[in-house]
Amino acid sequence: MNEMPPELPSNASLEQLLLRDDMWMGSSQRFTTRAAVETGYEELNTSLLNRGWPLGSLVEVCQQGMQGEWQLFTPSLLELPGLIVLLNPPAAPFSQAFIQAGIDLERLLVVTAAEKNHFIACFIELSRASVGAVLAWQPNESMTYTELRKCQLASTEGSGLSVMFRPASAQQQSSPATLRMYAQIVPTGLEITVFKQKGHLQTQQAKPIVLPLPDQWQPILPYHALNQHAPIIKPDMKPPRLATVTPLRGKT
Amino acid sequence: MSASRLRLWLAIRFSDLPLTALKLDDSVEKPIVVIQKKRVIFANALAEKAGAQVGMDFTTAQLLSGCEVVERDEAKEQSALNALSEQFYHFSPYIDRFCSDRFAQSGLLLEISSCLQLFGGLKALSERVFTHLAQTTYGFKYGLAHSAKAAWYLSFDYHEIVDNETKSLFIARLNKLSIDLLFDYPKAVDALSKTGFKTFGDLAKQIEGKSISSFKKRLGAAFTDVLCEIYDIDQNFQQSSLFEKPRDIYRPVEWFEEEIQFDYPVTNVEQLKPAFESLLQELSNYLRKRQQQCQYVEWCISDIYRKKEFVNVNSDEPQSHWQLLYDLSLIQFDNKELPFEVDTVKLTCHHVMPLQTKSQVLDFDQSRRRKSVNDFAVTIAKIKARLGHSAVYKLGYRDSRVPEITNAMVALADRCNQELPEIHLKALRPTWLLTLPELIDVKGNRLYWHGYLTTLVGPERVIGEWWEKPVARDYFLAKRNDSLPVWIFFDLYDKQWYIQGVFA
Repeated sequence: MNEMPPELPSNASLEQLLLRDDMWMGSSQRFTTRAAVETGYEELNTSLLNRGWPLGSLVEVCQQGMQGEWQLFTPSLLELPGLIVLLNPPAAPFSQAFIQAGIDLERLLVVTAAEKNHFIACFIELSRASVGAVLAWQPNESMTYTELRKCQLASTEGSGLSVMFRPASAQQQSSPATLRMYAQIVPTGLEITVFKQKGHLQTQQAKPIVLPLPDQWQPILPYHALNQHAPIIKPDMKPPRLATVTPLRGKT
Repeated sequence: MSASRLRLWLAIRFSDLPLTALKLDDSVEKPIVVIQKKRVIFANALAEKAGAQVGMDFTTAQLLSGCEVVERDEAKEQSALNALSEQFYHFSPYIDRFCSDRFAQSGLLLEISSCLQLFGGLKALSERVFTHLAQTTYGFKYGLAHSAKAAWYLSFDYHEIVDNETKSLFIARLNKLSIDLLFDYPKAVDALSKTGFKTFGDLAKQIEGKSISSFKKRLGAAFTDVLCEIYDIDQNFQQSSLFEKPRDIYRPVEWFEEEIQFDYPVTNVEQLKPAFESLLQELSNYLRKRQQQCQYVEWCISDIYRKKEFVNVNSDEPQSHWQLLYDLSLIQFDNKELPFEVDTVKLTCHHVMPLQTKSQVLDFDQSRRRKSVNDFAVTIAKIKARLGHSAVYKLGYRDSRVPEITNAMVALADRCNQELPEIHLKALRPTWLLTLPELIDVKGNRLYWHGYLTTLVGPERVIGEWWEKPVARDYFLAKRNDSLPVWIFFDLYDKQWYIQGVFA
C-alpha cells in the first residue's frame, strides 16, 4: 500500500492551448487562411486581410432584409470557378438579372431549406463539397453558437467562399465566423462595416466603407436637364455663319 | 449444310388478343367491338354476325349490332404477350414477337428446330404447345415454316402439322397466299395489285425470272427485305451462313428481392443499419454479376401482424455500388420514426439498366475536376433525399414579356436557356423577384410598402399574354425611404400598384 498514487494528467498549459488551430489570438495571422478572392472593390480589398474575401472559412453578413448582397458579391462570384449555390434565398433569384450580370446560369444552383435543422445539414454538406461559393440565408429561427460553429468548421473543410446572411440583430451575438460585417444601403451607396476579422485586432471603432451603386439605379434627370451634354451656346457668342457671300465683281 | 436450312419456326398468332387481353367476363355472350381512334379494330363472333366489320366507324357498328364498345389497351396486350412468352420459354429459348403496325394482329414466333429432340419430334412438341394454349383464354392460329416471316404469313392459312414438312412444301404453301396479307405495306400491295400480281406465287415467279433488285427499285428496300426473309433469299453475300441473323434468346424478366427477418422486434433505426448494409451489399453483388446498375430501390418494413410500410430511395445517377444507396436510405429513415416494431426488412429493385461504361480521362487535371463533379453528385443526392426533388433546381429564361413567366425553374439534369432577347438585355432588372407581386398601399398621394416609395426611373411598359390572361403594366424603379431600390409596377387593368422585385 506504499505505492505512489498514479501521476495526474497535468492541466493543459497555455502554450499547448495556443498551439491549437482554432484558437484566435488577436492580431496573429498564424492560423488564418491565406486564400482569398478579390472583392472587386479596391477600398474594401484594402480593409480586408489578404486583400479579399477569405476562402475556406465562414463570412457573415448581418443586414436588414435584402441590402445589396448581389452588389457586394457579384464581382468575386465572376472570378471564382465552380458552382454557386444559393441556400434558402429570401426570394426567387431573377434569371434575367443574372444573365445581364454575366453569371452563367448553369453554375447557379438554388436549394430551398426553410427548416433550421435541414438548413444546417445542407450548409455543412455544401460547404464540404468542392463548390465555388455557398451563399446561405439564415432561416427565421435564430441560430445558436454551437450551430454556427458547426457551419464554420464545415466551411474550413471546403475551399470555396462560404457566406451566411443573418438578420441585423445577430450583430449583437457572438459568432465564430472568420469575417463579420454589417451591410446597409445608404443614400450615397452600399455601406459596409467590418466589425470582426480573425487575425486583425481592431483597436478603434470600425470605419464604414461606402461602395458605389450602379449608375442605372440613379434617377433620370428631369426633362429640362436632359440636354445638358449638348454644346453650351453662350449668349455673347455669335452663331457661326451658315454661308458666306462673295461679290462677283470687285469694288467699283 | 448451313444452320439456316435447319431452322424451323412456329408462329402463333393471337387473332382475338385485343379483346381477350382486356379480360372481360362476358366477352362471348354478347356482341362486343374493340375500337382504336374511333374505328373498329376487332369484332367478336356475335358482332360480326350482326354486320360489324373491322375498319368500320364505331357508331355504324353500334347501330348495326347494338354491340358494346370497348377501347383498345395496347399496354394490356403487351403484358399478355409477355406472360405468354414466359410460358413458351418452357418449350424454346428463342422467342420473337410480331406486332402489326396497321392491324391489331400480334403473335409470338418460336424457333423450335433445336428443341425437337427434347420433346420427341415436331408433332409431339406442337401438340404440347397447343394443349397448353387451349388452357388459356386466348384464341390462336398457327403457322409452320422455314423462316419467321414465312411462318407468320402461313398462320393465315391452316395446314395440319404432320412432321414431314420440307422447305419446298412451305414455299408451295406460301405461293398460294394472297398478297393482301402483306397489309403492313399498303403502298406496295396497291402497286402490285395494279400490275396484276395476286398471290405470293406471282411474286416468287417474278423474282426467279428477273431478280429481286427490280422490286427493290420500285417498292423500296423495306418491302424487299420482307420478301427476302419470307423466301430466305440471300441478297448480298455469297456465304449467307456467315452473315445470317442470329436468333434472339428470350430473357425472362428478373428483379432483385431479398429480405431479412429479425429474431427480435426492432424498435429503432440504429438496429436496422446492419440489415440495410447486408441487403444492399447483396444487391450490389447481384448488379455486378449482371453488369447492371440501378437508380431506384424500395424498402419494405413489416411487423409480425403484416403491417407494412414502404420507403423509396432514388438516386440521381445510376449506381452499382451500395454505399450511396445506403447513405440515401439512412437519410430517408432518419427523417421518420419507425411506426411499429419491425420484424422483417425487404429490399426490392425492379428497374435495372445496363452498366454505362465510364471512360478514364488521361488528363490528370481534368480527371480531378471530374472527381469533384462526382463528389458533388453525391452531395446533391443526399440533399435531394433530405428535402425532396423539387427543393434543388437551376434557373433559366423562358421567352415571354411578363417577368414572372420568364423566370423558369429547371431540373439539374436539363440545360437552361440563357439567351436573353435584346428587349430584356438592356432593361433594368432586379436580382430578387417576389413570387407573387405584393399590393402597395396608396397613402394620400404617396406609395407605401414598409416605408414610403419614390419612383426614380421609368416607366417601362410591359404588355403580353393577351391570348390567356392579358397583362399590361408600367414598371418603375422606386426607392424606399431607407434607400432600398425596389421594382414596382402600376397594373393598367386593375389600376393598382404592386411591388415585384428588389434590387440588391
